[in-house]
Amino acid sequence: MAQLLELTGVSVRFDGVQALSAVSLGVAAGEIVAVIGPNGAGKTSLFNAITGYVELAEGGITLSGTRIDGLTPHEISSRGVRRTFQNGGLFGELTVLENVLAGLHGRVGGSLLGVLFGSRAARTAEREAVAEARRLLDIMGVRHLERQLAKDLSGGQQRMVEIVRALATNPPLLLLDEPAVGLAPPVREQLVRTIHRLAKKEGLGILLIEHAIELVMNVSDRIVVLNYGEKIADGTPAEVRADKQVLEAYLGHA
Amino acid sequence: MRAGTARSGESMLAQLVLSGISQGCLYALVALAMTVVYRATTVVNFGHGDLLMAGAFAVYVLVIFAKVPFIPAALLAIGLLFATGVGIQHWLIRPILRGPHLSLAMMAIAVGYFLRGVARVFWGREVLPFPKIYPDKSFFLGSVVLNSSDLVITGSAIALFFLLWLLFAVTPVGKTAQAVFQSQRGAALVGINVGAFHGAMWGLGAAMAAVGGILIAPVTLLYPDMSASTLIRGFAAMTLGGFGSFPGAVIGGLLLGVMEMLVGGYVGSRFIDITAYLVIILVLLVRPVGLFGRQVVVRV
Amino acid sequence: MSDKRWLSEPRIFYVVPVLALAIPILVNDYIQYIVNLILVYVLVGVGFNIVIGNLGQLAFANAAFFGIGAYTTGLLMYHFQVPFPLALVAGGLVGAGAGALVSLPALRGVRGFYLAIITLALGELMRWVYVHAESVTLGSMGLHVPLPFIGGIALKNDYGKFYVFLFVVVALVVSTSNLLRSRFGRAFMSIRDNELAAASVGIHTARYIVLAFAWSGFVVGVGGGLYAALVRQVSPEAFNLLELIVHFAIVTIGGLASLGGSILGAVILTAAPEFIRDLPGFEELLLATLMLVILLFLPRGFVSILARFIPAIRDRYYRE
Repeated sequence: MAQLLELTGVSVRFDGVQALSAVSLGVAAGEIVAVIGPNGAGKTSLFNAITGYVELAEGGITLSGTRIDGLTPHEISSRGVRRTFQNGGLFGELTVLENVLAGLHGRVGGSLLGVLFGSRAARTAEREAVAEARRLLDIMGVRHLERQLAKDLSGGQQRMVEIVRALATNPPLLLLDEPAVGLAPPVREQLVRTIHRLAKKEGLGILLIEHAIELVMNVSDRIVVLNYGEKIADGTPAEVRADKQVLEAYLGHA
Repeated sequence: MRAGTARSGESMLAQLVLSGISQGCLYALVALAMTVVYRATTVVNFGHGDLLMAGAFAVYVLVIFAKVPFIPAALLAIGLLFATGVGIQHWLIRPILRGPHLSLAMMAIAVGYFLRGVARVFWGREVLPFPKIYPDKSFFLGSVVLNSSDLVITGSAIALFFLLWLLFAVTPVGKTAQAVFQSQRGAALVGINVGAFHGAMWGLGAAMAAVGGILIAPVTLLYPDMSASTLIRGFAAMTLGGFGSFPGAVIGGLLLGVMEMLVGGYVGSRFIDITAYLVIILVLLVRPVGLFGRQVVVRV
Repeated sequence: MSDKRWLSEPRIFYVVPVLALAIPILVNDYIQYIVNLILVYVLVGVGFNIVIGNLGQLAFANAAFFGIGAYTTGLLMYHFQVPFPLALVAGGLVGAGAGALVSLPALRGVRGFYLAIITLALGELMRWVYVHAESVTLGSMGLHVPLPFIGGIALKNDYGKFYVFLFVVVALVVSTSNLLRSRFGRAFMSIRDNELAAASVGIHTARYIVLAFAWSGFVVGVGGGLYAALVRQVSPEAFNLLELIVHFAIVTIGGLASLGGSILGAVILTAAPEFIRDLPGFEELLLATLMLVILLFLPRGFVSILARFIPAIRDRYYRE
């Protein structure tokens, strides 16, 4: 299976701290890979490295064979890597519909002058974008929240809308940063079903950071374990569960 | 002011540098006060220049109308401004701390504007002479001429920096301050009253503004709009020294003062005003962290 | 809750300029002058709000844009007898250039407070230039702007100017509205609300920051050009940091990130000082107090009160 995302010997350093040391991993299309590890293990640094928010000290990252390390975040996003954020990445003062429209950014037509003069092409492009955004909200079952301001949504609703926004441009690769935090069990189940469907039915590669071990064991095809910036395990849930180093890492951080 | 012989060129340089240091002490004072407030409360006080003006006016009113002798008047004005700073923090800043940073900046601007309005009601467009406490004498240091105001300003500033250093490094209050500078949450956890601390720091900043006003007013004279130029120079000093750094504020201020004098002497006096602007632009484009600062730009 | 659906329909606002056409018949010279001044400040507010409100970036160059627009228009008419409409457009374009210039540091990653300070430095630098370039700008003495002509008709009085000003302001408000209700406007606000997330959806944030400043500079520059034609006397003092505070007051008191707020702010801040004109200092006290009150108790500005009764005032950032 050709790798969609491939990290080779990735190291990240900032403020004198070695956040990641020579991490290599891969995610294939249709595969769900979870990244777990104690706090400070480097999980978010991993996401930031992949999406271009931090520079690599060493190593390389490729997407479908093309190098993406060194590119800026918005460039990487346009190549098809989308993510959600741990602390809520929605645009708080915009409505749900406007958030998803923002997610469609690169797909909305109309030139600047066309927009300013209210040209027919610009208006049509805008209308099409609105229709598309509504369709996406429908699919995820959150259309009824359309007019609400993002900051007024509940945690679970925000999470869902953020995923809709991330998916707006049909990205081949989706990075989810602790999507289940603070969600009630029924909402978690819905999240798990959604992740599963996105990977298996729609063929997305999904990389997710999570603390909830049972959820991770449940939904992942593979699990990567980080500790102090190093990869200490990479295998199926069963393999990882039995891995001695992993147990030590977690027990050591009790 | 062209250099004739090598000796007069040298002495012109010395003259400019020394005058620049005295001027720079004022900028350092402004920058330091704003850095204190910023480090303590993460708010940049855009109204600082107007507090400076208010301090100077307070002394003027006390001396001229209430016939209070200068030194007590100065101390009273400093105390008054301290209270004003505490009040501003408590009633105007604290309630909106949770909101967007933009509102905090606007609040500081509005407060400054209010103070200016008050001053304008009483003094309109007049330019007033500031009560003199020291005689206007010139001193000669080799072939360099120094004014008594240069000495007073430099001396007072150095004394103040030393006192502040003592305050922060040695006294218990200062140790508390250091703790809060490091980590607000940590400080709160060990029982430090962070709210009161914020108020005290705003008070301190305002008191320092008063001192600045008292020092500068004899030189620039007193008028309601005197704030703008000092504020920009304060920003330039903070940018040069590295935003948020205490030694940076002082060194940045001194360097700026010297640079202005050099520009005025060698390029032309018209260009003195834009030295601060050019410093800001160049530093932020070339080395945004300044001399002693920390991360400033984002990956674009 | 609103069975008056028409109050939610933004199109009702087109009624306002239509009704406004009747103003010159109803008012005297002095009021007409004030109305024209309000129109100028509508542009100032609308332009400034794009950067401060929609983009959410603190910036200090607005008075400089205002000035550069006024000087460009005035100087072109004075030195080269350029016809007013052309000079006005030029004023806007130079304003746009100035906007792009002060925000260029954003392309290097400068943000937030640092970007604000650099706009202060660049704005003041621009002002220094037009004070000191005396041979061209006539420095502090002030530039006397010739009589503006539109297609052969002289705009001798404020009534004639009104129709031109109204047309220009409506055109710019409509195009700004179009801009905000598009991917451009949404990009600005995405950057304001969460720049990291904005980058993650493919928005080249630095470029949109520059665009926001450029459009802002254009609108405010045109406002400056209208101002030059209105007061016929352009001097550097009218565009200094004191003037800038009035701009801040307009967008804060009217309402941040709101077109209606900019307009309301312009009305309040132009009309109010007229009542306290001759009392020095009271104007500042009034403005400052209003700002303090709004910041403490009504952070979304006076327009938020109006929006409760007329939902259409609440800006929507897409088109149907």
